Parts: sequence; C-alpha cells; structure tokens
Amino acid sequence: MTILAEGYNSFETSKSPVGTVKYLPDPQSVIKLIQSGKLKEHILLVQGGTTTFLAPALSMGAVGVITLSGAPESHLGILSREFQMPCVMTAYQPENELRYVTGGDNDEHFKAMISALDGKKVRLECAAQDVGKVLLAD
Amino acid sequence: MKQMSNYTRRYEANDDGLRFQDLVYQGNFKGMEPVPDGILGDKIMKSRAKSKVLERVSKEDVLRDQFTLDELNDLNNYLAWNIWDVLVMRATEGVSGMIPRQEYEILAFMHEFYRWPEILGMTVDEVGAQGIVDIGASARREIGTKVNCVHDWCIGAVGFGMGRCGLLALEAIKPQDYVEESNTILKFMQRVLWGKRQDGYLLNSQDRYRCLIHEEDVLGKLVSALEPIESGSEAHDSFIRFNAAAELLSFLDHYDCRLGLGDTGPYPLPDGKVLIVRDLFTNEEAFDWSDVCDHENVPHCYTLVIEVDADAMGAEEIRINDISTTFTRPKNYIPYITGGAVFVREKWNTPMGEIYQVNIADLEQRLNGVQQATFKLYSKLARMSRRQLITNGMYVYYVDMILPHLRLAGTYEKACRDLDMWEIDHRVSDYYYDITKRGFAQATVPQKIFSGEGYLPFPDGAKLGRSKYYWF
Repeated sequence: MTILAEGYNSFETSKSPVGTVKYLPDPQSVIKLIQSGKLKEHILLVQGGTTTFLAPALSMGAVGVITLSGAPESHLGILSREFQMPCVMTAYQPENELRYVTGGDNDEHFKAMISALDGKKVRLECAAQDVGKVLLAD
Repeated sequence: MKQMSNYTRRYEANDDGLRFQDLVYQGNFKGMEPVPDGILGDKIMKSRAKSKVLERVSKEDVLRDQFTLDELNDLNNYLAWNIWDVLVMRATEGVSGMIPRQEYEILAFMHEFYRWPEILGMTVDEVGAQGIVDIGASARREIGTKVNCVHDWCIGAVGFGMGRCGLLALEAIKPQDYVEESNTILKFMQRVLWGKRQDGYLLNSQDRYRCLIHEEDVLGKLVSALEPIESGSEAHDSFIRFNAAAELLSFLDHYDCRLGLGDTGPYPLPDGKVLIVRDLFTNEEAFDWSDVCDHENVPHCYTLVIEVDADAMGAEEIRINDISTTFTRPKNYIPYITGGAVFVREKWNTPMGEIYQVNIADLEQRLNGVQQATFKLYSKLARMSRRQLITNGMYVYYVDMILPHLRLAGTYEKACRDLDMWEIDHRVSDYYYDITKRGFAQATVPQKIFSGEGYLPFPDGAKLGRSKYYWF
C-alpha cells in the first residue's frame, strides 16, 4: 500500500472513497466539473481550506477532498464533517521535507503536491482521530 | 455496542478538560508558562487577571459605564487568548481561491474600531444600558436570532480586539490611543453577553464551553418537536444532508464567515442525550446578493434542533465555542444524531408565534431550494471583481456583527441615515492599498491577530477618557 500523502483528518469515518484526483485551480474549474456530471468520479484537490471555493461541489455530493492548507477547525473542515465527506487537510508527502507554512511562501510545496497527486487514482483513509491518508488505489 | 461518555466530567470543578491542539499561547505574558487551549487555558487566564472582570460579575457591575484600566487590560488579554483558542487552527486555511477573506477581514477589523464606538454609543443613548442588557436577554426566548454567541463575541473580540490589534500592527495607532472608544465597545459587549447568559459570565469559554441560554419552557417546546431518526435511515440521511447544505449556504451568504450560524447547548436531556440548537441564517436581507435566496424562497433562518446520543458516541468533551461552533471529541457526532426537528423563521423579525416546523419527510423540496440558491450565489460571486468581493466581505463583518443589536434597539435606520453606516471611512479606504504590501493581510494578520501576539496592553497611567488627538 503506497502512501502518497498524509494530513490532518477532518473527522473520523469508516468511509474510504476512491477516485481520480482532480486539481481545481479556480471557480470556473469547479463549475465545469459539476456541469460535466463526473463530480463523483473524483477526489478533489484544492489549495485552501475555505468553504466557499468548493461550495457547489460540496452541495452536489463531492465524495472526498484533499486540501493543501487548513485544519479541521477551518470552515471546510467543519463542512466536510457535516457532509460526512472524508477530507485530508494540509496534505504533505511523508518522504518530502516541504510543509505548508501559514502566511509563508508555499508555491514550491503546492506545485510539488499538485504534481504528485493530480490525475492519480487514490483512496482516502480517514478512520484515525488525527491523521488522514491518501493511498494509491490498486 | 453501547459506549459511555465522559463529557460531563468536564463540568467538575477540578477537571482541566482535553487539549484540542498542540499549540500554546504566549500573548502579553512573556517569560511566563505558555497557556494551552480549552478549560485549563481559561483557568490560567483567569488566574492572571488583576481585576475581577473575568469572574462572575453582577448586574450593577455591568450597568456601570466605565471599566477600570485593569479591567480593560484583563479583557484585552482574555479576548486575545480566546481568539487564539478558537481561531489559531482556522487561520491555517490559506487563500480561498474565491473570496479574498484575509483582505476583507483586516479592513473590517479596522473599520469597526474606528466607526462602531459612535454607532454603539448612539444606541446606548437611545435605549440606555439596561436596554442593551435586555437585547441580550431576548435571545433566551428566541430561535433564529442573530443576537447569538458569535455576533455578541464579535463586538469585543473583533471590533475592539482585532481592530485595535490590526491598527497597532499597521502602526496607525499607539497603545495609549482610543481608551474611551475601547471602553464603549467593550461595555456594549459585556452588557449584551451578560443579559444573554445571566450567570455572571460573558463567554462560553468561561463556563467550560457551554452556552445554556434558553429558558426551560422554550427548550421544552423544542424537545417536544423532535422526530426520532435512526442512523442509516432515510430520515437520518435527509436531516444531515439538509443540515450540511443549509450550513454551507449560510457560510456562502456571509462570505465564508461564521456569522451565518449559531449553536447553543449542549443542553442535557433527562435520558442522558444532549441537545444542540443550531440557527442557520440562509438569507440575510441586508445583503444585495441575497436576492438569489429570495428567488428560491429560502427563508432568513432554518433552526435545527439536534439530539445527540453522547453515550453511544463515547463523548469525551463537547465544546460550543464563542464563535457559535460545536467541536467534539471524538470529532464525528453526526452518526449519533438520534432526533431532529427543523423550524423556519421567514424574516429576522418574524414573531416567535409565527415560526413553523417542517417535517423531516418534507425537507427534500427545501433542500432543492438551498442547493439552487447556493449554485446561483456561487456563479454570481465568481463573476465579481476582487475589489467588489473585498468590499462586500468588509460590509458583511462591519455591518452584520452589530446589525442584530441595532435592529432590536431600533437604531439601525438612524445609524444608516445620520451616521452614514454604509459609507467607508476615508482612512480605511486608504488602508486598502496598504494591506497587500509586505504580506500584511496574508502573513502579519495571521501572526499578530490569530496567534495573539499583537494585543498590546493599555500602558500604566493611560487616561480612561483618552481618545486620539494627533496623527503623524
């Protein structure tokens, strides 16, 4: 079992969604994904831990989210719990030293994470209290 | 398998509660032991106070017009810790990609500190100190009211605390400035919160994160309306789906901030379960972008009454924090919801007698309206310029945080007409161009405001009536 990334687990759940990671850079990409009818085939990858950016995707039944910043106390963390949608937050690669820094220059880290995850078929494992995992799906 | 809960142990005097995070707080207490989050943090902060303002205070204390300097500094220190306690982890969330929230937040903080003292002072002149206490007390008999934890907390924590902290960080003011105005804001906050709680405390963190404000007969009516729902059933799915979707729209209508929701509780029930009463403000008529909510017949507020089986959950701690949000350990309380009820308040001033219940079986159509409004509002926001989004977000904070109190005082129209409430102060307009320089909004604000580092005390000997008299 290959661990691609780890991060804060938004809430404990036995749900373990599988999907192809899709990086969403802007609101237009969110709208386009919803209109494609393929929302539920994807695990969504976003930079921020805020709620509004993903609002329609959450409302229409997104199955799982990976963020590159934020925590369970962030608005997206709260909403993922309410939607019972597994969410791994402030994801990082365990073997890489790059980590998100609040208010810092995170460009290099974000690019590395997007490159490592976008397009991969993954499974989210979110049963533990604190740590959520992004696993390469078989 | 039935588990047992330990959360009631948190209410024993010698219990220090759980830690919800690894970080610790330093604030103005350099050289002293850092302070953790939660119940233990509250105890330490109270022990470091020089005055009695963080103990249970009397009505006589609250009606007195002037805080002492020690009281002002104790409130400043406590609010700074409390802000850190509830927001330090949220502040890790980075940029939205949709709404420039850090930018609108910092502008609003400073705008509030400059403009609210006059508006709040006018309101006290109109209704008196007792009138402000009564506004707080009104929340004890109402649901769907924005006179709630987060709004009341914002008066002091945001308008005074973050506003003053932001201006200090921008070097626009000095620690000895605006003492009189600070007193005006904090007195208003104290009176509303005291009137609402009526146990002598102001904040939920002072009472082990409880907000048990509703009168017994009000609670009785809510409990009697509960419909039993079994985990995994269609009714359970409908209820939690509606809760989540309405909460999401509440966030969106309030520009990704928590002014759209308000929890109270956890109210203990005779059978050991607990009740959380949740207001979700899905359509605020003060905002022009809420027209999409009107088009979908979305009401001002949905109130969800949520019964949770704390024993089945194995609840270790339940916090209703001062920004109206429920956090638990374990984190996931949703599968343990065993009963629910949904009420509708069509407008902010709909009388309590006209609030009506929607059966869980009938939520599907309501859910569709909420989802449609969410998508339309998102599409609308996606077309807005950055400047427009920041301006709108600034208004959400600056207006909505005191709107419910002004509405009940009958002074909102006067504030708009005579005090130009919906104008932007010239100084704050100018700050718009400063906040993106040197990472002020993205780096300085999280560091100074959300970490608790920038809440400088009023210096010894500062005069209580001092405003600001010169600008360099």
